[in-house]
This record gives sequence, C-alpha cells and structure tokens, in this order.
Amino acid sequence: MTAEIGTIVISMDELAVRLGEAFPGELADIRIQDPDTVIAQVEAAGLKGIARRLHDLPQIAFDSLTLISSVDYKTHFECVYHLYSFAANRYLELHVRVSRAKPVLDTVSDVWPSADWHEREAWDMMGIRFEGHPDPRRILLKDDWIGHPLRKDYVDLIENHPYV
Amino acid sequence: MGVTDDLPTLANLKNNLPPSVADRLRYPKVEQFQQPNVITTTVDLIFNWARSHSIFPFTYGLACCAFEMLTSGFARFDIARFGWEVFRPTPRQSDLMIVAGTVNEKMGPVLKLLYDQMAEPKWVVSMGACATSGGPFYDGYNVVNGVDKIVPVDVYIPGCPPRPEALFDGLLQLQQKIQQMSYVSSNTGAVDLCESKWRAPRAEGGRGVQQCFLEPRE
Repeated sequence: MTAEIGTIVISMDELAVRLGEAFPGELADIRIQDPDTVIAQVEAAGLKGIARRLHDLPQIAFDSLTLISSVDYKTHFECVYHLYSFAANRYLELHVRVSRAKPVLDTVSDVWPSADWHEREAWDMMGIRFEGHPDPRRILLKDDWIGHPLRKDYVDLIENHPYV
Repeated sequence: MGVTDDLPTLANLKNNLPPSVADRLRYPKVEQFQQPNVITTTVDLIFNWARSHSIFPFTYGLACCAFEMLTSGFARFDIARFGWEVFRPTPRQSDLMIVAGTVNEKMGPVLKLLYDQMAEPKWVVSMGACATSGGPFYDGYNVVNGVDKIVPVDVYIPGCPPRPEALFDGLLQLQQKIQQMSYVSSNTGAVDLCESKWRAPRAEGGRGVQQCFLEPRE
C-alpha cells in the first residue's frame, strides 16, 4: 500500500543516521547529496537482503525502484539502484560494484517488479547478468546480437549489420 | 441470278479467310498490347489518374518525423486536399509506405515483412534524414544507414524532420511518377511498371536492392 507523498517529515541528516542504524555495516560510505538524495555503497553479496528490508522498512519504506543504471569504469562495473520513498519523499541511491571478470548480480525483480525491464536493459547494454531473473532476454537489441554495445571495449561486428 | 451467287456471303467470307487472320479475329493476342495503342494508353490514363489521386499511405512512423506526417493529416495542412488522407494501419490496405523515422537493425526485418505484405502496385517514400541515410545516427551501432538498404525507395525527402510542405512536395513528385506508369514494357519506348521486388542484400549473396528509375517518355 503506497502512502501519500511526504506524510513523514524527516531531515536529510536524520534519514542518513536512521539508515546507518538500520543497516549497520551494510550501507557503507553514506553521504548526502542535496536536496533529497542519500547515496550509499553496498556489497553485491548482501544486495538481495538489503533490498527486501529497505522495501519493508517501517515509516520510510523505499517502496519504489525508479531506475537501475549501469556504469563501466573499465576496471569494474557499477550498478546504481535509484530508490524512492513515497512516505518520506526522499531518494536513496545504492551503488553496487560488479567485477568485470564475473558480472553477475542477484535480481531484485521479486522485490520491486519495475526492476524486471531495467535488469534486462542492463544485460542488453552492459552485459551484467542477473541471477534468478524471470525473463533474462535482451530488451532493445535483436536476440542474436553479438556483444554489449555500451561497454567501453565493445567491438561492433559486421554480423550485427545484415543491411549493408 | 448467277451474279448474286458469286457474291460472298458472311459465312463464305469467314471460311475463305487466311488462317492467321481468322485466328487473330477469334483470339485477340497478348502481343497486340505490347505496343502502346489507343486501348493501353486509355487504360493507363484512367488507372494512373485514380492511383495518383487516392494514395492510401501506410502509417509507418518510427521517430519524430511521424509527428510531421501526422500533422500533415490535420486541418492546418490538410493532406486531404490531395486525396491522400486515408492513412491505414495495415499494409494489406495501403499502397504507399511513408518510412518516417530512424530504422534500426531490429526494425529492419519487420519493415521488409510489412513491405512484402503490401499489395502491388506499391511505393515507398523515405521521409527525413534518418530514413534516407541514417541521418545524425549514421555511426550508431543499431541504425540501418538508409531504408533503401532494405526496400526500393521511390522518393527521398530531406530534412530533419521535413515540414509538412516538404512531405507534400515529395508526394506530388511521387504523383508525377505514378502518372508516368504504363502497362507496356519499357523496351517499346514507354515507361516500365516499377519492379518493386525485394532483393537479398549483398551480404547474403544477393544482388542488392534494385532501385527503379524513371526513363523519360519519348
């Protein structure tokens, strides 16, 4: 049940402190980005449990996943989960490092259903696989596309272009 | 009375004709319509007039050019002035495909399928820079550099996006092209019906897309 927007009035400092207390040792490097966003670093192994508890957090439940973006830092990938709490009218960004050698994460599509297509897009464009995804296909490109075009080391093959 | 006996009756005339002439009278041959004559030119005139003044466009909007295409259908520009306002969402009922927007690699086979489903005679108008050459997305990893890599195009309309006036200008040129069509084949001096068969791309060992060009009528 989604609460009305902004029913809980909470300052940014208080939100950061409460999140740190609720997830001791799990949300690392918590910092505040004005005006309404808290940024935290998360280990890939604990992502699924943190996601479930953030979704069910009392009073300031982050019950909406607005975006999953993926970044290629050449040494590693990073997935950024943009969460939103309707009750507190605040945003939370979870930054998750993914190794380039084994780009696999747990799916959160059973926590937030909107993660389904975002995870498919991250697989399509960046090649990050999501373990347990209900429909792990490409979403934008052709099914037989070779490579993941938003990677920095992507090489475009002629096989991807039949109409030349 | 001996004189009247010698007069040829109708039955007499038919029986005494040389066989070649008799056959030609009995069965009009296809060869008679291989040269332009009063029948073929009249049929061409009527059909071309009807076709060029009631084009049913296929609503193939892929990107922002689609908005200009739809705008041209509304009251301010009013494509109905020319008789082309019957936009059809199905290829079976349309005879002009206005490719309005960027064609990407995933859309390519779909576009070819829909083009093949259109009934002959059919025409393709490439609207805007993207459909003509890939436009600003020429180097994109997922963009087909021009719809003429997939289907034969009759009229190219430049612009990004073209205004409705530009679309009308392109369609008026297509109208002129349709009015020069003829059933008589081109080796007799008249203009050939555009051969709008899709060809396999060169990468698959085919001959590539064949463009159809107009020859000036003698």
